[in-house]
Amino acid sequence: MKTFTRLALMLAATTALTTGAMAEGRTFKVWWYEPADSALGIAWDAALAKFKEAHPDVEVQFELKTFDQINQAGSLILNSSDAPDLMEYNKGNGTAGLVASQGLLAPLDEAYAQYGWDATLNEAALQLGRYDENGVFGSGPLYGIPNYGEFVSVFYNTDMLAAAGLSVPTTLAEFEAVMDAFVAQGVVPIAEAANDYPAQHLMYLLALSQATPEWVADFQGLKAELDPAPFLYAGQKLQEWVEKGYLSKDATGMKADDMAAQFTSGASPFVVTGTWYGANFGGIEGFTASQFLFPGNHLSAGSTGNIWVVPNGADNKDLAYEFISLTLSQDVQNLMGNSGGVPIAADPAQITDRIGSLETELFNQLVAQGGLGFYPDWPVPGFYNEVLQATQAVIGGTATPEEFAQRLKDAYDDGMSM
Amino acid sequence: MAAISQSRRTGSAVYWLYLMPGLIGFVLVVGLPFAMNVAISFTKWRGIGMPSFVGLANYDRLLGDAAFWSSMQHTLFFVVAMAVIPTILSLILAATLFDYVATQFGQGWSSFFRAGYYLPQILPVSAAGVLWSWILNPHGVLNLVLRGLGLEGSNWLGDPSYAIYAVMGVMVWIQIGYSLVVFMSGLGRVDPSLYEAARLDGAGAPQRFWYITIPMLRPEIAVIALTTTIAALKVFAPVFVLTNGGPDNSTIVPSYFSYTHFFATVRVGYGAAISTAQTAITILLGLMFLRLQTRKGDAR
Amino acid sequence: MKKTGLTRWVVLGLLVGLLALMLAPIALAVINAVKTAADYAARGPMALPRSFDLSGLRDFWSHVNFPLKLWNSLLLSGCAAVFGVLLSLLNAYAIGIGRVRAGRGILVLILMGIMIPQESLVYPLYYLTKSVGLFDSLWSVIIIFTVLQAAFGTYLLASVLSEFPRELLEAARVDGANRWQILWQVVFPILRPTLAVLATFFFIWTWNEFLLPLVLLASNDHQTISVAMGVLSGQYVSDPTTTAAAALLGILPTLIFFLIFQRTLTRGITVGAVK
Repeated sequence: MKTFTRLALMLAATTALTTGAMAEGRTFKVWWYEPADSALGIAWDAALAKFKEAHPDVEVQFELKTFDQINQAGSLILNSSDAPDLMEYNKGNGTAGLVASQGLLAPLDEAYAQYGWDATLNEAALQLGRYDENGVFGSGPLYGIPNYGEFVSVFYNTDMLAAAGLSVPTTLAEFEAVMDAFVAQGVVPIAEAANDYPAQHLMYLLALSQATPEWVADFQGLKAELDPAPFLYAGQKLQEWVEKGYLSKDATGMKADDMAAQFTSGASPFVVTGTWYGANFGGIEGFTASQFLFPGNHLSAGSTGNIWVVPNGADNKDLAYEFISLTLSQDVQNLMGNSGGVPIAADPAQITDRIGSLETELFNQLVAQGGLGFYPDWPVPGFYNEVLQATQAVIGGTATPEEFAQRLKDAYDDGMSM
Repeated sequence: MAAISQSRRTGSAVYWLYLMPGLIGFVLVVGLPFAMNVAISFTKWRGIGMPSFVGLANYDRLLGDAAFWSSMQHTLFFVVAMAVIPTILSLILAATLFDYVATQFGQGWSSFFRAGYYLPQILPVSAAGVLWSWILNPHGVLNLVLRGLGLEGSNWLGDPSYAIYAVMGVMVWIQIGYSLVVFMSGLGRVDPSLYEAARLDGAGAPQRFWYITIPMLRPEIAVIALTTTIAALKVFAPVFVLTNGGPDNSTIVPSYFSYTHFFATVRVGYGAAISTAQTAITILLGLMFLRLQTRKGDAR
Repeated sequence: MKKTGLTRWVVLGLLVGLLALMLAPIALAVINAVKTAADYAARGPMALPRSFDLSGLRDFWSHVNFPLKLWNSLLLSGCAAVFGVLLSLLNAYAIGIGRVRAGRGILVLILMGIMIPQESLVYPLYYLTKSVGLFDSLWSVIIIFTVLQAAFGTYLLASVLSEFPRELLEAARVDGANRWQILWQVVFPILRPTLAVLATFFFIWTWNEFLLPLVLLASNDHQTISVAMGVLSGQYVSDPTTTAAAALLGILPTLIFFLIFQRTLTRGITVGAVK
């Protein structure tokens, strides 16, 4: 028995020694998947540099992952011993919600108060960070911390509008009048891609023009069977817009890249897409691009961005929390805005980049008016493909607006029951 | 006679040793995972955590899923685009390169053409997707060329009546190189004097093709036909990068369909049911094909 | 004996025309690979480049640590090619020459390796590799592709070997060679060109594999080039010019590999190569 105790003591001492040694040479593993030259990549790189400065004794292992990998294998990696201390993860029920409900993420409520994140973020910004026991967002413990925002708006070619003597529309009717003017010149006003995600964002903006915040809450929260009226309206508008030539039927064969090229080459004066294109459009040669919120809409497609999550098995949670604090710091957030991104907690006065400051201002405006309507494909897993195909069909003329709305309703109601 | 079959049997037994590594590997990498996949198909599962048993519910759903049935139909188009057309085209090409170009212009030319035709095979599909989207989009290269020739362009990937043919075209482009290389290496063992003799006997190119090339290449044709058919039955990546199964599900294929459920909706149980059904059909076809091949071989 | 000049040139013209068609998409990649992003944005993918810029490529090279990824891809594809050919040879020797009982049944079983859609193997293989501590290890992926590729190889070689001239084997046996020696001293040399074709295919196929490496190789240190190319497309925005450049860069090793084996390819798969 005595031998056994001694053995145990020795073992304990060795463990203590090794952990002591490890504490000195700690490694901090952090992953994200924003391209290095994107606004987010630039900002987070700067945060990482600060982190290294503050912790010269910590070995930092940063890996730039790919969206594909985290999207498809994120849950499997988090479910293994190879997970990092901190990683960027896709917000939403099918990703962060799923792993949170399986107990793979560390709850962050304590750290939220302790590290003072509550001073920069408010409860509204945390909606996509909270997941209940079923993995549905909106309530429950805090598992993810957002760092930036994103929303869909209209980018426009200021030179083309000026040359045509047109001004920025503020209502849907004005927008249609402006587009009529371009159609009369033989120009397709909106660059669009329906063989990819962009068309469903335009579709959703049109639906949101008819929607109440309650409808959005029900739709996004799977609260009731789908009331398809706003989608029916969106389908009708899309059909009408194609007929009037506001957007081309050709959109059904276009990818997001093709759409962007149609706008950046000056072929079309408008493109309805997300702030993720802000940095690209800010640097166009040949004309100046600017943006406005979808005219007449109180609600827009948009949300807080992807979230930081800390795997439950992470060895260095304290370092992860420190890094989150750094990314929320004023300097880093301002840098993000100045690189053409949409910071969540920047000082608008400090942002000098033209597109970045415009986006920050519009985002703050949307948040203030409770205008973030999220995205159409979120509520039901796999809804994305259904919405994509149905939108493509209504633009291509192979589905009527009624059929379009019915398809969405069928898929939604079916998804609710799964 | 008895002694011979006796020795053959003991011989057989020893050969099992050579099969061991292959069989062990097969069990670990294919057999066991496939059995797991079949088991998963009877559950509701999200990829992590505990699956819950649901019996035949996934298969029940599958039978009523219109998307699944249309995806099976599209498979036939892909068999044409990946097995039938490339096999025929590359047979002709191989014969031309071997029987004509090599003799008229020299071996180097024939190798050069073969390498060129093979190039699409080594391009990663993700990159091929970007390239073909440049070509096939409504403002793309193809329409530009067609309009230059005074023809109507089309919305190749966006119009449900064209999309599957556009994707088929891309598949032919990808696949030709593979069968061409196999056929040409098969022709490598043919004695060129055979062709020479046939020529002296007055056999024209079509006759030489029909009476020499085809019979000589029979084993390769069988291998190519089976492997490309199998590839067509499980085609995925090109559809994924070109059309996402659209427009209007007009290009959806079984693998795309199961992929969606494995990784997008994360209904892993349902995805497993789809791929189990798909695999069963593939194996059935494969067996039929092998039987046919052996019978032909016996007849020879 | 030579044909009239006209036919000659018509045939050559047709072949060149077809080649141009086949290579046009790749030419498009070359044109766009050297453009600046701004040049692409302003004039689209079809315009000839007015700028020459490989900085996108240079960034890609350093961001993804290209040399490391290159090494991983080479290791994975090289091992899968060599081991896959070896495994195919052993299998096919037993089935085609040994004529083991139920050989065709076993062949069908092994063929399942190419019949099963890969996505259905992902979750099971994830849990299996994890349970034996080989998750995020190149070796697990090497083993997996060795077996999967050997399915094709076994089928091809078995059909070749079933027509192998028996008299050669008999002669070797009379000389006192055992089965192991016959395999390496009689069968292997004759099959060599075929094995080279197989190795080329396995190398190229494994090189371009995407899904299984994506899931099974979690850390960047173990990743392959085809997976790393994913950094060029984010969730919403991708960078087509750099994609084109990176794709060309990524196929260079496979292209070199293919050109090296060009010569053996002509020598052929050996059904009846023994005269």
